Amino acid sequence: MVNLTIDGKQITVSRTATIYEAALEAGINIPVLCYAKKLLPFGACRVCLVQVEQMKGRLIPACTTPVSEGMVVTTMSDEILKVRKTVLEFLLVNHVIDCPVCDKGGECDLQELTYDHEVVCNRFQGEKFNLETDEVNPLIERNMNRCVLCGRCVRVCDEVVAYGSYSFINRGFETKIATAYDRGLNCEFCGQCVSMCPVGAILPRPFKFKARPWQLKEVDTVCGYCGNGCTVTLGVLNNKVETIRFNDKIGVNDGNLCIRGRFGYSYVNSEERLTAPLVRKNGELVAATWDEALQAVADGFKQAGGAGLGILSGARLTNEELFLLKNLAKQAGTANLDHSGGECYKGLTEGVAGALGVAASTGTFPQVEECEAILAIRSDFYETHPVFGMVVNQAVKRNEAQLAIVADKRGKFAKLPGAKTLLHRPGQELEVLNGLARVLLDEGLARTEGVEGLDELRQALADFSAEQVATRTGVAAEALRETARQFAAAKKSAILLAYGLPYTAYSRELGIAAANLAILLGIPGRDGSGLYLCGEKANSQGVIDLGIMPQAGGLGAQAMLEAAANGKLSALYVVGEDVLTSYPDRGKVEKALDKVSFLVVQDIFLSPTAAKAHVVLPAASFAEKDGTFTNAERRIQRVRPGIPLPGQAKTDGAIFAALTEKLGGNLAFTGAEAIFAEIGRQVPAYAAVTFNGIGPQGFVWGGEILAPARRRLQPAGGATAVDGAFQLLTGSALYHSGTVSTRAKGPLAVINEAYVEFGRDDAKALDVKDGDQVKISGNGVELCLKAKVGNRLPKGVLFAPYHFAAAGINRLYKGEAAVAVTVSK
Amino acid sequence: MFTAIAKGLSITFKHMLPGHSTTVQYPTVKLKPSDRFRGLHRLVPTQDREKCVACYLCPTVCPAKCITVEAAENAKGEKYPRVYSIDLLRCIFCGYCVEACPVEALEMTAEYELANYRRADFEFTKERLLR
Ligand code: SF4
Ligand code: SF4
Ligand code: SF4
Ligand code: SF4
Ligand code: SF4
Ligand code: FES
Repeated sequence: MVNLTIDGKQITVSRTATIYEAALEAGINIPVLCYAKKLLPFGACRVCLVQVEQMKGRLIPACTTPVSEGMVVTTMSDEILKVRKTVLEFLLVNHVIDCPVCDKGGECDLQELTYDHEVVCNRFQGEKFNLETDEVNPLIERNMNRCVLCGRCVRVCDEVVAYGSYSFINRGFETKIATAYDRGLNCEFCGQCVSMCPVGAILPRPFKFKARPWQLKEVDTVCGYCGNGCTVTLGVLNNKVETIRFNDKIGVNDGNLCIRGRFGYSYVNSEERLTAPLVRKNGELVAATWDEALQAVADGFKQAGGAGLGILSGARLTNEELFLLKNLAKQAGTANLDHSGGECYKGLTEGVAGALGVAASTGTFPQVEECEAILAIRSDFYETHPVFGMVVNQAVKRNEAQLAIVADKRGKFAKLPGAKTLLHRPGQELEVLNGLARVLLDEGLARTEGVEGLDELRQALADFSAEQVATRTGVAAEALRETARQFAAAKKSAILLAYGLPYTAYSRELGIAAANLAILLGIPGRDGSGLYLCGEKANSQGVIDLGIMPQAGGLGAQAMLEAAANGKLSALYVVGEDVLTSYPDRGKVEKALDKVSFLVVQDIFLSPTAAKAHVVLPAASFAEKDGTFTNAERRIQRVRPGIPLPGQAKTDGAIFAALTEKLGGNLAFTGAEAIFAEIGRQVPAYAAVTFNGIGPQGFVWGGEILAPARRRLQPAGGATAVDGAFQLLTGSALYHSGTVSTRAKGPLAVINEAYVEFGRDDAKALDVKDGDQVKISGNGVELCLKAKVGNRLPKGVLFAPYHFAAAGINRLYKGEAAVAVTVSK
Repeated sequence: MFTAIAKGLSITFKHMLPGHSTTVQYPTVKLKPSDRFRGLHRLVPTQDREKCVACYLCPTVCPAKCITVEAAENAKGEKYPRVYSIDLLRCIFCGYCVEACPVEALEMTAEYELANYRRADFEFTKERLLR
């Protein structure tokens, strides 16, 4: 701690603080322009000049100067004011000042500083910038005439995003921010630079000229896409979500978002939203009243009789709705309840739960930034949970964390300093994890105190020596050993594993293997360390916490589909999931949906699944709901409604309540608060907080570090290798999440159709170029897809994202780790 | 007392003499208001479009909340008011909008004959204001 005086105020701050931060703590505001909380100090603008007595009256920037003992700082005097004003005058010499047409007007730092400092005329004259605007991409517009060269975009894209789009080029008056070869922006479009730019030089194009910031109603809610659970602040104008506002005050994401969160909102305003219930009459789906539709559903359910009904839920409903759904299932007398394909979450519910006695991640995201060693399992973690990815990037860049990636393709992380990719053959994650566990045991690096099942594991790992694993997976034995040693030496470490619909293979085993490794490294329960299993959807964790899983004697998702296909299930109720597009093995799903005599689909769009239904119930998007989501680190966060429901649509919760009543239940829909309290009575972890007690940072159930109930090692069976010259992987692409993002303009502007990605070598050998149509056949199915050539894939490995209904990737992908395919043009 | 009455009446009668009345025979005779008079608004045109750039300052400042602006992008990529309208029934003729306009695209004219028969007639759209 250091003592200093700022404007006569005595204060004590941490040794690492800058003068600016110290002043802020003392409640003294120093104007800044190039400073940003989440970026390293830079000192580009000189707006924050202050005087320090010990420095003989010289003016120094407050944002870059660290405090020292006994410092006496003056933040405001006539001289300082004069100099600040001059700095602003300099900035305005070549600034275009087109505030009336600049979308930043009203929240522009330059505008505000100019106003505050009463810069009403300029003593200096110079040529105004006259540069062309960069509009080559559909999402971000760059107008460098308004740039103040603060470098915030350059820094955020490098420090936080690790993409590195921008840099300063030229010198002196000619200096400007440019992309590679000044060709215009073409990046991953996370929009971090948009949110960081203090002026109107980088703006979101979809929001161009739409409104002034002060006209927007701001509603803080949680992103409806992935399990990262980022806070998004909806900018609402005339009951439409027009933009996502920057908000680094609340939530776990520090204002960071990915393309889906920032630009993927438009589907909620879509004209294609379902606005009225549909009932099939004479083979056609026709609009009906709610009463008619609900009666039809209730009759259908009654006819099916308890066990004849199956319920498949998505993982983007709020906790409160899930609670009501469970009640509804009880009322309908069925135990056949499941979500998300029924397989992918088993890593948590069976794997981790078996090992640690808890079915959840054991740490929180911010802790990962402080970790010394991070193991990311399954290709690019960045693609599935981009904002958590940014945390990992910062851990590596700022805190020099050792990053090891167990993956079948080279991801963005692979390029980070010191990062190493244990590149394995497709489907062999499990082997690598087992290999690492074996090294830990062999070299006596494992922590075995209070650990059960050690001997069984030792036996099971007999065939997993580093050398054996190396020959089977292609990962060098030495790399395995080195990684294991690194992790054993680290005081704080994290193991990350993403799961979701396109990753069903070995999900249970992978959960076990990851948990084994975590136990052997002493991760569970240790301060700052954590095992993270991150679900694909916004409320993946909530679905597990609330137990939307087969009830006693009930069928799981796959079993339900089989039963339906065999005529053993007569009614199916699909909520918030386009199962036909997203579940593995479309053939099987199709058969089930065709065969089942009564299909009810509740969704916000007429998805391919809904098109097959007998009754379609129009539901609500995340932007219309009140309730809570639980993210992948167990953070319960408030979801707030920003816009009204379209047409006659109802929230999923209201529909469940109405149906329960129709089925003779007497449950009243009493609002999210009351239901949350009720959840607390049934799920003990949720009892620790009340609905209104959920703070701006959410509430992490089980605490920052979740204490494991036990430490049990379990053998995880080895994976079988996939033969074939080419192996197709599926998964999530960075730009999309699930199937709903294919209805959002932002993500679609970047990727609007399915593709199959080739590595450079393969592309060359096959003479495939970007944009070519290629035929991929495997599993008895042939798909025609557009080719994309990239740097990520090793030889023989292809990748196709699963989001697009029309492409039918899941005709080919039946839940295996990789599919052997042949390629022809 | 009589002198006082006579004095008063003389003033009254003086006003009855021609040339001493302040009444204007409207509508036959119309007065020209002062240059600073705040009458009906006018959107200033330029050669090919309105001068207004749809900055939203006038609707923001308007205390009667009677101005509607909707910005859009024209073919040249410029910001322009796709919708601009003033609800004159609500307007209080304070002139704040004119004062707020950063590009001098809005003026107030001397026109004060604004009576009309239907409510809709008081909705002054962009087309009616561009003169
Ligand atoms: S960047 Fe700020 S100061 Fe510059 S034109 Fe835009 S609003 Fe005005
Ligand atoms: S959108 Fe993201 S990746 Fe693209 S330049 Fe901006 S910060 Fe970098
Ligand atoms: S574009 Fe914006 S963020 Fe980047 S240097 Fe210029 S003013 Fe700063
Ligand atoms: S999709 Fe996931 S990572 Fe991206 S903004 Fe939403 S919650 Fe965050
Ligand atoms: S203030 Fe002027 S430029 Fe702005 S919207 Fe009104 S009339 Fe148009
Ligand atoms: S804010 Fe300190 S130099 Fe820019």
